[in-house]
Amino acid sequence: MAMSAPDPQGDVRAALELGVKAATAYGRPDLVQRLNVTLERVRKPDVQVVAIGEFKQGKSSLVNAIVNVNICPVDDDIATAVHTIVRHGEERRAFALVKAANDPDGEGQRIAIPLDQIRAYATELGGIDPSVIVKGVEIEVPRKLLADGLILVDTPGVGGLSGAHAAAGMGAISVADALLFISDASQEYTRAEMDYLAQAMELCPGAVCVMTKTDLYPRWRDVLEINKGHLARLGLNLPILAVSSMLRMEAIRREDKELNAQSGFPALIQYISNDLIAGKARTNRLTAQRELYGVCDQLAGQFEAEKSALTDPAAGAALVAGLERAKTRAEALRGQAARWSTTLNDGVGDLTSDIDFDLRARMRAVMAESDSAIEAFDPLDSWDEFEPWLTNAVSQAVVANYRYLTERAATLSSDVAGHFGQEGQELFADLEIHNAANVLSRVSIDPHIEVEDLGRGAKGLSALRGSYSGFLMVGLLGSLPVLATVGAAIIPIQIGAGLILGRKTLKDEKERALQRRRSDAKNAVRRYSDEVQFQVGKDSRDTLRRVQRQLRDHYSARAEELNRSTSEALKSAQDAVRVAEADKSKRIKDVQAELDRIKNMRAQAERLTQSPTGQSAPARQAV
Amino acid sequence: MSEHLIAGTTELLDGAERAFAGAPGAEALAEARRRLHEPLRVAIAGKVKAGKSTLLNALVGERLAPTDTGECTKIVTWYRDGHTYQVILHPRDGSAPVQVRFEREDGAVEVDLGGRDPVSVDHLDITWPSSNLRKITLIDTPGVDTLSEGVAEKAYEFLDPKDTETPADAVLYLMKHIHASDMRLLEAFHDEAVSQPNPVNAIAVLSRADEIGGGRVDSMASARKIAARLARDSRLRRLVQVVIPVAGLLAESAETLTEREFKLLTELATMSRSELETYLLSADRFIQGTPGMPLTSLEREELLGRLGIYGIRQSLALVRSKTVHSSVELSRELVSRSGLTDLQTILTTLFVDRAAVLKCRSALLAVERLCEQNPDHPGAAGLRLQIEQIMAMAHPFNELATLAAIRTGRIKAREQDLLDLERTLGANGTTPWQRLGLKQDTPADQIRTAAYESIARWQRLAENPLSPHELSQAARIGIRSLEELAVSLG
Repeated sequence: MAMSAPDPQGDVRAALELGVKAATAYGRPDLVQRLNVTLERVRKPDVQVVAIGEFKQGKSSLVNAIVNVNICPVDDDIATAVHTIVRHGEERRAFALVKAANDPDGEGQRIAIPLDQIRAYATELGGIDPSVIVKGVEIEVPRKLLADGLILVDTPGVGGLSGAHAAAGMGAISVADALLFISDASQEYTRAEMDYLAQAMELCPGAVCVMTKTDLYPRWRDVLEINKGHLARLGLNLPILAVSSMLRMEAIRREDKELNAQSGFPALIQYISNDLIAGKARTNRLTAQRELYGVCDQLAGQFEAEKSALTDPAAGAALVAGLERAKTRAEALRGQAARWSTTLNDGVGDLTSDIDFDLRARMRAVMAESDSAIEAFDPLDSWDEFEPWLTNAVSQAVVANYRYLTERAATLSSDVAGHFGQEGQELFADLEIHNAANVLSRVSIDPHIEVEDLGRGAKGLSALRGSYSGFLMVGLLGSLPVLATVGAAIIPIQIGAGLILGRKTLKDEKERALQRRRSDAKNAVRRYSDEVQFQVGKDSRDTLRRVQRQLRDHYSARAEELNRSTSEALKSAQDAVRVAEADKSKRIKDVQAELDRIKNMRAQAERLTQSPTGQSAPARQAV
Repeated sequence: MSEHLIAGTTELLDGAERAFAGAPGAEALAEARRRLHEPLRVAIAGKVKAGKSTLLNALVGERLAPTDTGECTKIVTWYRDGHTYQVILHPRDGSAPVQVRFEREDGAVEVDLGGRDPVSVDHLDITWPSSNLRKITLIDTPGVDTLSEGVAEKAYEFLDPKDTETPADAVLYLMKHIHASDMRLLEAFHDEAVSQPNPVNAIAVLSRADEIGGGRVDSMASARKIAARLARDSRLRRLVQVVIPVAGLLAESAETLTEREFKLLTELATMSRSELETYLLSADRFIQGTPGMPLTSLEREELLGRLGIYGIRQSLALVRSKTVHSSVELSRELVSRSGLTDLQTILTTLFVDRAAVLKCRSALLAVERLCEQNPDHPGAAGLRLQIEQIMAMAHPFNELATLAAIRTGRIKAREQDLLDLERTLGANGTTPWQRLGLKQDTPADQIRTAAYESIARWQRLAENPLSPHELSQAARIGIRSLEELAVSLG
């Protein structure tokens, strides 16, 4: 375990640090900041893996077995009630995310709890301070796999009677990098499970199926084959890994390699460390490379311009003129009137009202269905069943609304990126000087990189990550107000009453009481719906504001950089034109040296994706 | 008592047949009358792979229904007692039923559908001479929540048909854990005005109970605890009477245990416990084994497939400790440990002893539905009044209705009072000692004393001005039950 492995991300960090040094030396704090952000991402590549599935399928056991520690509570009967986040820490510690029971809308708190209290906080068992509501549990354990960036999230199972419905876990899923869909080997997939999986994958497409408890079922291979068939028929191309958490824990206890192999865990661990963690590292590596290319090009621009003005004074004048025009355009790119900025501001405005309308339409449909359902039953008899139906329907509506928001925000982001890229391109459209234009046009590669990065979908928008999660993850869906009048004015129907009272009066009274219960129920539903719309509406407006701010900040910074690079290039070219003939050859030599230095930096960035270790990190096993 | 009820119900059916002669839907009455004289019909329902066919086989004591690793039962299948072995297929399109061929494969009845699509078959009716089917007819249903098209709806249609009452008098509901879709199906079984949501004719079975605890030796104890907790859950209480854990596979295999299997187990028991446990860590290890381990890999696989890990552990412990010496003894012991014995007892006290009431209830439902469908028919109003009279006057119905009212939370009182009242009304069985919560062999005079004490208690409750009206009513029904009980003691 303690064996010191060579740091696979060392070269990326070294290249980025060199870039920071260079940008500092050339007096470009804007570029320094940009590289630092990337550096931070490489240092801490959080990979969130969320275990989902129906209740009592062995999710907590699986999480325990992956990190080899008995820390998520496991029980035959009592199920996990809140999200449990397992991450790296220097020592074992546990925290509970709680809110005051009398102020459910207030700020949450993160309080340290003793390890032996995890069970009380994380399961349906309860038995903790009733003045707080537990929203989640965080556990820190020192483990290599976790130190590499893995964050495991154990979720309450869906499908049971108590609380957790399919939509409740969607918040955690929407911020996940990958899902582990868990179902035990006792039987093939059910329709409810497949519906849930499909829904989850719309929010997080990276998923792998895990079949647990293979130790218990001699025919698990048959079940595996049947399940593969089900997945294929549904068009889901997912691998299924068969594991036994019990065997794995036993293998670790006995330090038995063979038993560990039988548990099926090596394949799962390999998937997590090779495909997920290393995959994330690869993505980060590519990002780092792109950022470095961009920085090199921007830095090189000024020296290329100076060099070309120094070597050919006639062309130098034209170059200065061209750069002046480019500078004016770059300045315009910074302002409010820039096309990308208009696109962004108008887009967010449209989006806010569209999202709001979408939510209203969906909620109205749920309400209509709910009203007609209430007309058809007696709330006294069926309220207990109706309530889960309603909360589920409402959370489905909220999730659908959230997906709509995600899609639209991604489209907006790529529109903005498109406009910015186009304008950046036009900056240099009429620069005809061959060498400078070549070099400078590379500056405009930069916006394209951003198009790729931010435009490739919702995942690039960090502002979207975690939106609604405040709402969904902690299950703020709240609860329906209890029907106060239930139980009042009930006449036992068959206990001979029909013969005591006149048939008609009894019937009328029953009818009146039923109508009253129904209208009470409808009112309760309406209050609930208003509350949900208010909360979700606020959440989505906040999210959109965050998206707007993120995009604005990002492109403003890029515009600022372009502006600065163009200014520097212009200044260098102007200076070069004025340089005395005697100093020229010395200056050309200096400029060439700077260019060579930048070229070296670029070459180092290029190597990031060529070294064999850069392509795939060596498989590591936690045992 | 139940004779009165049957006589009253027959009279009602006579009246209904006269009033509705030739009217649409009147054939339901003939069916209702036939049902009155048949054994009680108990449907076995639940989600896909809950172990329905397996439990059915255990209850019949013979491997009749085919079972498999994948989804197996796709057609509603009736198993009833008769003189000959035969299978009748009822097509879905309403055409005439046909007799079809079948063969027994590994004991199970494999029906030859003659090239028909299972979806086109309404149900199969299997007649099989069996003493265990004499008192109840068992109905196997396809699982809900299946991924097979056209099968999922069948169980719903069966328990909650659109235009007739359900053909089952009572239901055994199987579940692994209680799942939200379990609740939906159970509710489908309870929706008539006569019954209201009514737990009196449903029993929940925590099937595959041995798997809950991962096959550990204490798995069944763990499952019993869970069952007890579920039985207190208000949502489940209003739908079922009790929750019973059963290790279905073990029960089926124990009922049909062969001499050869016993011999194989004896041979396996020669290994030491600790040695065996290292193999029992997983099914794969047990089957693969190592050279020198008793039995062939195939034999071990066969045993494991029959008994499951929990069953193997229990059997070997029994053989090793010399608690059992023959396949008969082992079979009996395993049946008891699988929870099947408990289930059979509960079935008898709650369903079989009440068969007349449950069957009459089904008949009343049929007539009521007919009246509802033809509200303007001249005889309808009179028949409805007659139904209400039977319901009100027949004390067993009042008991059931009151039980249901307590279970659904319509009657508010102290919890202990409600529990005792439920018991008095026969929730745990209808014999005097069961109603009074006494031991089985309590002498008659002690029972009498207890009955009078109990009557006094409910009288106080009924007459207490602070008791809500509904509670007083319920207490009076309890008093009536106890009075009848005291009279029967002489």
